[in-house]
Amino acid sequence: MSMFKRCFICCLLSVVFCPSSGFIGGGDSFRRKVSVEVNPGLKPPSTLPPGVNLVHVRALGQNDTLHFLFCNQGAPSLLLVHTNTTESTVHVNWPEFINRSSSGGLQVEPQSSVQYSRALIITRLWEYSDVNNTADPQHTSESSFYPPYELQDFIWSEFNQSDHRIRICGGDRTAASFTNGTFCLQISAFESEGRESAWPGLLHNSNSSQLRVSLEGVTARVNYSRFSLELQSVGDSGFLGRVDVHRSIDDEYTPSIFKVSQWVSFPVNSSRVWGYAQWKPVAYRKSSPVTEDATPCRHSEPVPIARPPPSALIQAYFSHGPQTYGLNVSFGIAGDAFYNATNYLSWTVLMGVGDPPVDSFSVFIICIMAVGLGTPLVLIIVGVVFLWVRKRTSQSSGYEAIN
Amino acid sequence: MCRATMADSGERRSLLKEDDGDDGEDVSVNMSPLCDPRHLLHRILVLIFMCFLGFGSYFCYDNPAALQTQVMQDMNLNTASFMQLYAWYSWPNVVLCFLGGFLLDRVFGIRLGTIIFSLFVLIGQIIFAAGALANHFWLMEAGRFVFGIGGESLAVAQNTYAVSWFKGKELNLVFGLQLSMARLGSTVNMNVIGWVYGRIQMMMGSAGHTTLGITLMIAASTCVFSLTCALVLGFLDRRAEKILHKEQGKTGEVIKLTDVKHFPFSLWLIFIICVGYYVAIFPFIGLGQVFFIEKFGFSPVQARAINSVVYIISAPASPVLGFMVDRTGRNIMWVLLAVVTTLLSHLMLAFTLWNPWIAMSILGLSYSLLACALWPMVAFVVAEHQLGTAYGFMQSIQNLGLAIISLAAGAILDTKGYLFLEVFFIVCMCCALIAVVLLYLYNSYTEGELNLSASTRARRAKALSESSE
Repeated sequence: MSMFKRCFICCLLSVVFCPSSGFIGGGDSFRRKVSVEVNPGLKPPSTLPPGVNLVHVRALGQNDTLHFLFCNQGAPSLLLVHTNTTESTVHVNWPEFINRSSSGGLQVEPQSSVQYSRALIITRLWEYSDVNNTADPQHTSESSFYPPYELQDFIWSEFNQSDHRIRICGGDRTAASFTNGTFCLQISAFESEGRESAWPGLLHNSNSSQLRVSLEGVTARVNYSRFSLELQSVGDSGFLGRVDVHRSIDDEYTPSIFKVSQWVSFPVNSSRVWGYAQWKPVAYRKSSPVTEDATPCRHSEPVPIARPPPSALIQAYFSHGPQTYGLNVSFGIAGDAFYNATNYLSWTVLMGVGDPPVDSFSVFIICIMAVGLGTPLVLIIVGVVFLWVRKRTSQSSGYEAIN
Repeated sequence: MCRATMADSGERRSLLKEDDGDDGEDVSVNMSPLCDPRHLLHRILVLIFMCFLGFGSYFCYDNPAALQTQVMQDMNLNTASFMQLYAWYSWPNVVLCFLGGFLLDRVFGIRLGTIIFSLFVLIGQIIFAAGALANHFWLMEAGRFVFGIGGESLAVAQNTYAVSWFKGKELNLVFGLQLSMARLGSTVNMNVIGWVYGRIQMMMGSAGHTTLGITLMIAASTCVFSLTCALVLGFLDRRAEKILHKEQGKTGEVIKLTDVKHFPFSLWLIFIICVGYYVAIFPFIGLGQVFFIEKFGFSPVQARAINSVVYIISAPASPVLGFMVDRTGRNIMWVLLAVVTTLLSHLMLAFTLWNPWIAMSILGLSYSLLACALWPMVAFVVAEHQLGTAYGFMQSIQNLGLAIISLAAGAILDTKGYLFLEVFFIVCMCCALIAVVLLYLYNSYTEGELNLSASTRARRAKALSESSE
């Protein structure tokens, strides 16, 4: 019996100590030094409209730099520029930038150090009436679609910058739907590997930045309408894009979602991925969601677009005939609740260079499995050995003489 | 037809009263085989009604599982609240497992008791449906509570009827058939109720709590059918009692709670195996449909079909595996095999993307194997006069475990997702596995008889009966 007691205490101790080991070690030692500046070099008489800002996030690595530039002059755009030197800087020719007269208003210098640049732009918010509850905008007739909300025409009312996070909110002030609601964007930059606690809990590292889109309190135009977001991606010529959908067995961080979608960009003559936009095909219908508040989202295949997006940042930076691709991310599936059930929708996308991050099991799960499967195994081995030894000793004792 | 012959036989009996003895045989000469309580054909008729007695209860028990998305959407629930529907079914049975036998033997008698419990099942399901129609979730929970009061006790009544009408070797077959019918009820529910909901939705034009309520009311019609069977059985049993002068069946259970103090260590290990195993099966099936939709991308119809595989397989497999365990003995090894294969299937479902049909089929087989090997073990470790208490206690803590773990499963799913839930179930199975290993070691150490082969047991029994003569 005491052997069993000892085993039990061993198991209990390992269960207690295993979760704490998650804090020891692990994590990526690759770090960047992140600094944020708003409107670098902007001096009167150049002024930006209220609520419109250019944010420059500089993530300094060992021998390279990542520049994240976000601007909501025109359609909100997030531009990522990767240079192979630690001395690169961003120069903005403000009069040219604000006027949008020509390209070249924004430059990363030295130009020769730029390795890779890609931008993600949110151009339109589409709303369509889904009477048949199929949640399939690709096969819904054009007449069901309402005129889209053009994000380039939004008036931006809120701009908050704290730490490495920027939050801007705005809306179409001419539309009745936005009287009590806003469209918000939250951009975060990261110094090291980690994971946000808020769902979908995407794994990020210092090579990426996260963009969270949310519709808060915006009213739908009809009771059975759904939303869809139009995204455009601009990159240098010579790069192609495709969307991969990976299946995984782990939904610890995004309960009930087993897929991850990645819009990767790769050069024409190679298959190595240079940059990505990664998201989980889920949107949440509440700001503090539980599993039931998740609504799946679908994306359409990226198609090339002839004209560059209506964004000052893109026009200023991409001067050499950039390639534009666009896709739609639509929220909801057939039979799901409509937008007006909660009047809230949030969706998160991660943008970065290099290979997209891959989720793995948490240390907690690994510990539990090890203890759970290991204990019976240990018991079996110990028990079998014990019985075998007992059998041996009882055999060797043999018969004893009676007298 | 039976009524006319009954009048005849009644007259005859009053004439023959003075003769005494052998009334039964003389009476049976003039009745058709279908109406003769001792003839096989009549007993088959009774068997049919006995099997369908539990159909309604098993059909309605898994209504929430088959309609999970609809219930959660129409009543606006999260998973933790949804699992309350299962918890409320189990709560009354924590206590009722002790009282069931007593109520059937002393208070109501088997016939009235069966009818009362069938009524509880029907009324419970109606309250459940009414709760959906009125859009009050607390009423649905109350309905499940009332349904639970009737459900498990009805199973005890069904067993008592079986013992009363079929003795000896036939009994195993009858138990097996009753179990198969129960599983059939569950399977039919899983595959049909979703379709019924779809049709009602088309008729009504939209989904909503009214659609759900109407669907559940339609499901209650199976309970009406079961109530009819209970009434017919009561009538046939009373008639047989009058003709054959046999006593009303009794459960024979004697529950003495003080016996719990004297339960051997092996029995406590068997309890742990029982709880650890079943809490990883029933709550999993309760939440399985959405799991298969989300992880493996199945359609709702396919997901429900996979979810019902456990029941479909267990219906034919239970009698076959029961026969095998009877012939070979070595119960602990079979229990060990069942627990290990269930653990493997949970591991497959959690950590791979292999076709879940494989894992669920293995689950169905091991679930049947465990039932055949585990429950008879109680009879080997406990004296006969304590058997009622032991089984009652086993059912009671099984229901307690199910109630608590159903709630825990719902809460885990709400916050942590399916992988975590599967790992939780795997940990429960590991607890059962540890208990089985300990039971084997303890049994070997104390040279108990749980793991003896059937031939050894037969020899020992024969030697015992010879020495007692």
